[in-house]
Amino acid sequence: MPLSQDPQWYKDALIYQVHVRSFQDSSGDGIGDFRGLAQKLDYVQDLGVDTLWLMPFFPSPLRDDGYDISDYRSVHPNYGTLDDFKGFLEAAHARGIRVIIEMVLNHTSDQHAWFQQSRSSRENPRRDWYVWSDKDTKYQGTRIIFLDTELSNWAWDPVSKQYYWHRFFSHQPDLNYDNPAVREEMWEIMRFWLRMGVDGFRLDAVPYLIEREGTNCENLPETHAVIKDYRARLDREFPGKMFLAEANQWPEDLGPYFSGGDEFHMAFNFPLMPRMFMGLKLEDRKPISEILQRTPAIPEICQWCLFLRNHDELTLEMVTDMERDYMYDEYARDRSMRLNLGIRRRLAPLLDNDRRRIELMNGMLLSLPGTPITYYGDEIGMGDNVNLGDRNGVRTPMQWDGGWNGGFSSADPEKLYSPLMLNPVYGYQAVNVASQKRFEHSLLSWMKRILKVRKSSPVFGRGSIEFLYPANHRVLAYIRKWGKETILVVNNLSSSAQAVELDLQGYKGNILIEMFGRNIFPRIGNLPYLLTMGPYQFYWFRLRKV
Amino acid sequence: MWDKFVIELSQATQEFLRGVAQFLPRLLVTLIIVVIGGLAAWVIEVIVRSILRLIKFDRFSDDSGASQFLRRTALPSSTELLSRFVFWVSWIGFILVGVNALNIVGLEPHISKLFGYLPRLVAAVCLMFFGLLAASFFSRAALLAAVNAGSPSPKLISSAVRVLITVLSISMAFEELGLAEQTVLIAFGLIFGALLFGLALAFGLGGQELAKRFLEARFARPPQREHEDELSPL
Amino acid sequence: MAEESILTDDFLHELMSVGEVDLLVGVPTHNDAATIGPIVQAIRAGLVQFFPRQRAVILNADGGSHDQTQELVRAASITDLQHTPNPHALRTLHSISARYGGGPTSGRGLYAILAAADLLHSSACAVISADSSNIEPEWIAHLLRPVSQDGFDLVTPVYHRHKFDGLLLRNLVYPMTRALYGKQIREPYPSEFAFSGRLATHLFGQDGWTAEAEQDGARLYMTISAITGGFKLAQALLGSKTRAPSSPPADVVDALREGVGPLFFSLDRQPAWRTNTPSEPVPILGGQPEVTLDPLRINRKRLYDLFRSGVSELAPLLSSIVSPFTLEQLQQLASRGEEDFCYCDELWVKTVYEFAASYHRAVLNRDHIIQALAPLYRGRAYTFLVENRDAQSEEVERNVEALCLTFEKVKPYLGELWDGRK
Repeated sequence: MPLSQDPQWYKDALIYQVHVRSFQDSSGDGIGDFRGLAQKLDYVQDLGVDTLWLMPFFPSPLRDDGYDISDYRSVHPNYGTLDDFKGFLEAAHARGIRVIIEMVLNHTSDQHAWFQQSRSSRENPRRDWYVWSDKDTKYQGTRIIFLDTELSNWAWDPVSKQYYWHRFFSHQPDLNYDNPAVREEMWEIMRFWLRMGVDGFRLDAVPYLIEREGTNCENLPETHAVIKDYRARLDREFPGKMFLAEANQWPEDLGPYFSGGDEFHMAFNFPLMPRMFMGLKLEDRKPISEILQRTPAIPEICQWCLFLRNHDELTLEMVTDMERDYMYDEYARDRSMRLNLGIRRRLAPLLDNDRRRIELMNGMLLSLPGTPITYYGDEIGMGDNVNLGDRNGVRTPMQWDGGWNGGFSSADPEKLYSPLMLNPVYGYQAVNVASQKRFEHSLLSWMKRILKVRKSSPVFGRGSIEFLYPANHRVLAYIRKWGKETILVVNNLSSSAQAVELDLQGYKGNILIEMFGRNIFPRIGNLPYLLTMGPYQFYWFRLRKV
Repeated sequence: MWDKFVIELSQATQEFLRGVAQFLPRLLVTLIIVVIGGLAAWVIEVIVRSILRLIKFDRFSDDSGASQFLRRTALPSSTELLSRFVFWVSWIGFILVGVNALNIVGLEPHISKLFGYLPRLVAAVCLMFFGLLAASFFSRAALLAAVNAGSPSPKLISSAVRVLITVLSISMAFEELGLAEQTVLIAFGLIFGALLFGLALAFGLGGQELAKRFLEARFARPPQREHEDELSPL
Repeated sequence: MAEESILTDDFLHELMSVGEVDLLVGVPTHNDAATIGPIVQAIRAGLVQFFPRQRAVILNADGGSHDQTQELVRAASITDLQHTPNPHALRTLHSISARYGGGPTSGRGLYAILAAADLLHSSACAVISADSSNIEPEWIAHLLRPVSQDGFDLVTPVYHRHKFDGLLLRNLVYPMTRALYGKQIREPYPSEFAFSGRLATHLFGQDGWTAEAEQDGARLYMTISAITGGFKLAQALLGSKTRAPSSPPADVVDALREGVGPLFFSLDRQPAWRTNTPSEPVPILGGQPEVTLDPLRINRKRLYDLFRSGVSELAPLLSSIVSPFTLEQLQQLASRGEEDFCYCDELWVKTVYEFAASYHRAVLNRDHIIQALAPLYRGRAYTFLVENRDAQSEEVERNVEALCLTFEKVKPYLGELWDGRK
């Protein structure tokens, strides 16, 4: 199946986030690999997604699950070889599936050769590839991101007797982007992968590239300049490829990452995600509609990336203290679930394994403006294990069937890179792909159906959004429009049945066609349009004037 | 001639006796009607008395001040009085019916007139009663208002109100009875008019300040009135 | 049914969009645009600050205002409709305003709020008067928290008051309510109070409520129902009680009608007052109320004069109301000079009870009976002012307490009068 040639393919994409290590082990060593991933491409295609986002797979001491990179031009031996990767890439493209990989620009592992050289002496040519200082008082006021483990953004290097700057773990020293050599080298690395056929990069931790005294060292104009430069080169040499920004910022600060369409193609809408969970618990659309009101308009060629969960904790950085306390009390009563101003739980456990709520959240994910990302395992309702430390609880092996190691690996269970989920509710015998494939009404089957409906209209990916504000604050309703096509989305955020009257005067005369069952609903007349909705129910209506 | 006299006498006597014979049955009927009427009236009186006691009519009349008036004039209580009135009115009605049965020529129209008069009599009594009630109520209300407002002569105001309303109800009662209608109406008009005129003068001349303040309070933003004090009871 | 006519269609429609709530704050109004704005803002601030997670609604039950009262209330909503995000509020806070059916009375306004609280299944409700111009956001917490968190059913307010403020309350309403119903509630006619959903349901279940709702005695009826129904009571210290500057000075007769009339009326409807047990204290939450001692402009002589003229002018009337002995004592009192004047506790209590009994028998028109009490109350007020002229707050409290105990001690006398044994 050929890949679409539309340069704005990312606007219609349905992304599936997966970690090679967690998906399928073909070698029997207990760790997933590229060959195994390639074996499961049929499943991915059958699910209905068309883009894979791979988490870091470069060589790494794996002290931060691969985000601490020690070699940018290779594949970690755990996952196979570069040829294995190429084979996988080809197979994906053959199925019409694009592949986005991680590019950690901001920092490397302290095991990377560059850092080893940089720290060896102050005169080393790579010395200023990193950010060094005699004192740890520079760049005061910069917030610490990994609050649970780090006390400072500076770490003392006993070898060269200076402090080095790190916004993340202390074993992840920040690269110095004021050094042109660093910038060039990183571009060459990206070029290496682009030539191989990779379709885009998720640029990790971009706000932190440049530091300046007297600032918070985030989102600085110089940082944007670096990215703009990369983008210009990308457009010149590799048109149709894509940059996705990982920038956990307030809506107003995200706009510059799109700039005039000459920086990132896509950026995650981080502030929206916790508010979707909040709105669901509060049974009130206010958090969701207000954050979207605050979200700036972006250039036409750019796109938001939406997600419910990912490999990290459910971040609560971009909420007020009051909202954070509420989220903790409602979603993470057990303190062990809390990490780094976030909650390290998967989607299904967060929603009490309630099928209706899982469907509603996915319904919103797939109908709000942006490109949706599904985290591997959430399509079957996998659970989490907070006892695994850090964020590993949400990175357990994919559960394929109820047999040996859940079908993930033929190795001894003790050899697996991570224990499987075993409890009666979320364990691999209860929750797995094979059993859900057998039933039309399983979550997996439902996900396939909704992804298909989503794909049936470009409105979702490309259309505008107009909020309706019915008096019933428990209902979130909006109109998506693109060209001649109009879709009405109505979501009941409440656990009880609701009646809602919608002002659809602007669409008078249209018939509503419910998109899943394709049944006709009454025509819009002069009176407010009355809908009655069951608990957590949602509707997608196509508006048609006959 | 003696024979003729005797014949004439016996004829006259026979005619007289015939007349009496014709009259006596009617008289008997009349008497029967009167007696039965009396009994019926007594029954009606008892019923009315019971009803009045049930609705505590005496309290109404206490309220109206009628009881005090009756007591002063050594008359029985209102319930008793009204019951007896009803008795007499009912009995008189029966008597009139009885008298009508005598068929005395020329008496009928007068009896009809009397019957016609009875409802008006009742209406007039009602008017008087309710008039007294209203007079008592409003005069008391005026007394209380005047006392609480600290007026210099509350009793005078109260009496004035009572007199006005009493005079009004008496006039209405007389009008209803048709007694000296014109005279009473004119007299009432004169008294009422004079009283009101006097009040208007008194208010307008003597109560200028009060009038001014009243109008200001009613139609303009209320200015800082001189309060008696800053206390608020609740 | 009264309930159907109280909740108009528009009212119901607004309630539908609100849905179930945890807290409801009701404000009955009628042409209160001058004061309503700051009051609603304070309520809103209180709900957002102290109950950010709870579903709440501000409900204005309006009797048909022609000024901008309703619009001002609606403007206090926190919803996404305004398109300016409000990050200080976690949830939507509806502020709705609707007219209730029938004419404007405070009883109907309260009834409409109760009906709304019942429909929305609110577990805790507060009612705030439209002329509480000095309301603070903390008042919302003081009133609602005991109900929503501590399980109380009725929370009445307690204020810091001037020692001469609320004389009728201190000399009649409070002591008599306390003596009759056995609970030491300082404000039996609260203008701000809170109640639980349980109490609201209980009131709806009573036949008498709809009749009460038509009158101004609804708040007293609610307090008495809560006492006689065995509900859990508390009092909350709110602060100082002031009136809106635009409201007219209180008229004694109106105050008697509003304060004493319903109290006398309640004796007919609530047989629970017949028991003779000593009164029990009701806990005061949030501190003890203070009696302030600032100088106040008072025309004491006027009170004395009005008492004297009242007793003399109304003697025929009073003879129908009070006993001959009491009347004689009043007349003797009226003949005394200012220096010797003392309307002592026992005489005052007997006077009040005799008035109550006469009210019950309706010896005269009941409103006239109330009005006839006014000059006597003034005499009592005069005595209170004189006795406490130089008193400190503790002494004032002691004097009030002594009066309360006299009311309780003499209560059997009321029973005898009631039964016609005296």
